[in-house]
Amino acid sequence: MTLMMLLAAAATLAALAPAVARSWGGRAGWFVAAALTLLTAVLVTLRPTGGALTESVAWIPAADISLRLQLDGLSFLFALVVLGVGALVMLYSAAYVKEKAPGFYLLMAFFAFAMLALVLADDIVVMFVAWELTTLCSYLLILRSSPDAAAPAGRTLLVTAGGGLALLGAVTALVVRTGTTELTAVLNDPVWREDPLFAGIVAALVALAAMTKSAQFPFHAWLPDAMVAPAPVSAYLHAAAMVKAGIYLLMRFSEAASATWVWPTILVTVGLGTAIMGAVFALQRTDLKELFAYSTVSQLGLLVAVIGVGTPEALTAAALHVVAHALFKSSGFMYVGLVEKRAGTRDIRELHGLARAMPWTSAMAVLGVAGMAGLPPLLGFASKELVLDAMAHSPAGTAVGLGIALAATAASVGTVAYSARVVVRTLPGQPMELKPARGTVSMAVAVGATAVAGAVGGLLVGLLDPVVLPAAADATGTAVGELYPLSLWHGVNLALLLSAVAVGGGAIAVWQRVRVDAALDRRLFPFTGVAAVTRAQSATIAAGRRVGDLTRTDHPSSHLAVPLVVIAGGGLLAAALTTGEWGLGGGAPVADVGLTVLIVVGVVAAVASRTRLGAVIAAGIVGFTVALWFYSLGAADVALTQLLVEILTVVVMVLVLRRLPATFRRRGAGGRLRGGIVAVAAGAVATVGTLALTGDRALSSAGEFFLRLAEDETGGTNVVNTILVDFRALDTLGELVVLGIAALAMTALLTARTPVGGTPDAAPPGPLSDPALNTVFLRSLARPLVPLMLLGSLYALLRGHNAPGGGFIAALLGASALALLYLAAVSDRAAPLRLPYLAITGVGILVAVGSGVLGLADGSFLRPLHADLLGVHLTTALVFDLGVYLAVFGVILAAVNLLGMPPLDDPPRSRDRAGAPTAPRPTTAASASVPAEDDHSATEEAPR
Amino acid sequence: MMLALSVGALVAGAAYLMLDRTFLRVIIGFVLFGHAVNLLLFSSGGILRRTEPLGSGPDPAVTADALPQAFVLTAIVIAFAITVYMLVLAVTGRADEDAPAAGSDEDAAPDAADEDAPSGTDDRAGMDDRAGTDDRSGAARRTTDEESRA
Repeated sequence: MTLMMLLAAAATLAALAPAVARSWGGRAGWFVAAALTLLTAVLVTLRPTGGALTESVAWIPAADISLRLQLDGLSFLFALVVLGVGALVMLYSAAYVKEKAPGFYLLMAFFAFAMLALVLADDIVVMFVAWELTTLCSYLLILRSSPDAAAPAGRTLLVTAGGGLALLGAVTALVVRTGTTELTAVLNDPVWREDPLFAGIVAALVALAAMTKSAQFPFHAWLPDAMVAPAPVSAYLHAAAMVKAGIYLLMRFSEAASATWVWPTILVTVGLGTAIMGAVFALQRTDLKELFAYSTVSQLGLLVAVIGVGTPEALTAAALHVVAHALFKSSGFMYVGLVEKRAGTRDIRELHGLARAMPWTSAMAVLGVAGMAGLPPLLGFASKELVLDAMAHSPAGTAVGLGIALAATAASVGTVAYSARVVVRTLPGQPMELKPARGTVSMAVAVGATAVAGAVGGLLVGLLDPVVLPAAADATGTAVGELYPLSLWHGVNLALLLSAVAVGGGAIAVWQRVRVDAALDRRLFPFTGVAAVTRAQSATIAAGRRVGDLTRTDHPSSHLAVPLVVIAGGGLLAAALTTGEWGLGGGAPVADVGLTVLIVVGVVAAVASRTRLGAVIAAGIVGFTVALWFYSLGAADVALTQLLVEILTVVVMVLVLRRLPATFRRRGAGGRLRGGIVAVAAGAVATVGTLALTGDRALSSAGEFFLRLAEDETGGTNVVNTILVDFRALDTLGELVVLGIAALAMTALLTARTPVGGTPDAAPPGPLSDPALNTVFLRSLARPLVPLMLLGSLYALLRGHNAPGGGFIAALLGASALALLYLAAVSDRAAPLRLPYLAITGVGILVAVGSGVLGLADGSFLRPLHADLLGVHLTTALVFDLGVYLAVFGVILAAVNLLGMPPLDDPPRSRDRAGAPTAPRPTTAASASVPAEDDHSATEEAPR
Repeated sequence: MMLALSVGALVAGAAYLMLDRTFLRVIIGFVLFGHAVNLLLFSSGGILRRTEPLGSGPDPAVTADALPQAFVLTAIVIAFAITVYMLVLAVTGRADEDAPAAGSDEDAAPDAADEDAPSGTDDRAGMDDRAGTDDRSGAARRTTDEESRA
């Protein structure tokens, strides 16, 4: 059995637990308890007599993150607490959770696994992951306890996950700085001594993380808040294990971080402050569970403070107190749960006479509470003695040490007082009516077992030497032999005196409890911790909303102005930083000047046009000029593509124009001015950027590669086409998918949204008002031209690899032919493009993918295959190009068909949608493939 | 130099049009912007060598860089698809001047944010490309809405 197997077994237990809970109901607790006991036994056998057991399995080798596990003294102590207390709590749950609760057992077992992973991790990243898992388990366990638990669970998560962020910061900084994720190596890195600033920051972050997890001021509020969770969760997570994760982290980092002054300062002040505050709050509470929660806060404060002292004695004290506290506090919480079950309340003002009503359980409770108060000869006494002694002998000096010890004694007075309060307010008096004890036996057994363990541990404290001393030794980097063995009686010394003061003070407080209660029956702080968390939460959300308000508008210019300005600034900056020659394009050919003038004219016309038709025509001028530019730059393919696209763009835009008003709404003068300024600035930056960054470049090595090797590699002599269908076919495939999505989106939009109306088709009366006459020329022309264009399209496709042409151009040509047919039709309803455009696009993409799969035969997706058949060179790149053809063709068909629907004076779609009240609605799913056809036929039948 | 001026003119026109609130002008601005970017891509490959990258054994000293050409070729087609998509957006949905029809089952979203719009250059927020839609269609649509509710 290895550590890895132990961890895997714990994970398996979490996986099995819900199934067992489903079939066994409440008794699943017995199963989980037995399994955890078994794991505890395995853990004990795994513990090496000296040194540490380490294992490692690669997890993310690229980042050097491994599942490194280490079982040393410190890990062993905490693992023992996690598994041992876990087993007892599960035993208790078997009686407490009566119904089938697979979620509960899953989370509890998974929490045990996460805690085990946390304390065993020797990889700082694994440790962080486990840390977060415990946070999540706690959140989910609180959340599922009751419908009202959502708010406290959320607050708990916010606080503890916030601390997790601090830990993440520390982990990241350490990994970057030390170059390793191995926890042992990180902690032994010289950076802790050599860079005080870095070490101080990391130490503060680690302390912050531990403070949130272990409920230290000012993050303590979540722990009492989390008491809505059922008793087993409180006993296990919020007393024994999860809150100890912070303590474990502090002890683990103690040796390394003690080198900084930040560490002891934070820990001692925060710890002592929390200890005193928690004790006072506990005295204030009347709800037993809240009382125990504040007691936990207080005790954890004591632990944090003593870890801050940092000496081997202090860490010994901390280790022993971890064990003592886990025992007496889980006993306490389980007792409260039992009382609540049987008495129906946990308010000490309503509880009385429990001593006679349930004598056995009460005796056990007294034993546990006495341990909490630190009465001899219990374990709580032994550990508190050590704590006070270690504090008094602080390395910071006698005066400081004495001050610390006195503050801890003050907290202990409170501890004794509230412990006594539990006993004297609930046990004496007339016995109260209780529900029968049936079915709660295992609960009582669990309460008793933890309490008795605390008593035995006190009397025979030497038995704990092999558990506690190695933990302290590992935490401080000393040898076990240098530590004092544990003992109950140290003779009469300062610590004993302070203990006596604490007990005496507590006794006085109990004696004068009426006055104490009166003094404390008020608000001690102007606001509660819960309110503070809530306020911080709502303030964060409000701030987020305010940030969101900056962009919450559908006004396009507010969205566009920011990127325009940012890009302009970036362009100018880059231009300023550019060194070397600015590309001025050499001696510009005269043609370039003419092209630029044409572009400027077109742009100005597009901007100035008051009518939509005018703007579209101006945009067309610009588009055709750009095509000429491309041609002049030596790109026949691109120029052809641009030309064809421009034609189709104009066709589609004209189709759209029918639905829109003829003129633009006029922009206000201010808007024009602002737009003009932005436009001129953007244009200037674009010009400067183009000149500065590009222009006279030499041929790039990639460009040269394609020019030199295209023919040898692919057999094609049209280099652009070989790039599209051979070298970078995967890019092209991606683009085809984009086209397919565009076609789908257009169809979906027109199915889901009502097309807006527009001016009716009626042309002014005149010689051209009859569409049949009007289209005579176009129809006569289309008859011979369309077949020719389709043939040409096929030819362009076939020769594309070697000469201008290819799938894109061929498809545009073919679609232009169909668009011509469409424009030549007498009316929209006679428009003959009844082709399943979505299917065509889809088939295109499939064909392209299929040709790519063929390439796998040669070892790589999309690698073209070559073959010579009867002297003709054939390649699967042509098949790919066919896919391109079909996809592009389908998209253009979709555009023409969808936007070419009749204007809304006779809205086919609305009528479809409304339908006759009795007629079944036509299925849109069926019409999706060929909606145009459906629409048109439906319209033809519709009465006008 | 001339190419850079062309790019500048196209960007300036595009910026001006895209800051307008009429959707068709935004679309035309987008088209112009696409042209500008395509020319810029060409420029990045160098514009002194202008021989077509066609035929066997092209001379790298005078032949244009084929890589930007391939980029631009696909970019043109993609830009076309997006243009058409935006045109579909322009002619679907509810005309702004319609009163928000109670119980209208569609297109609440595009106008929902109107109230949050800051006071801009115009007194109305949102795209007004359908502003001139004559009332008949609105009335017709309302009738169909009522029919469908019936």
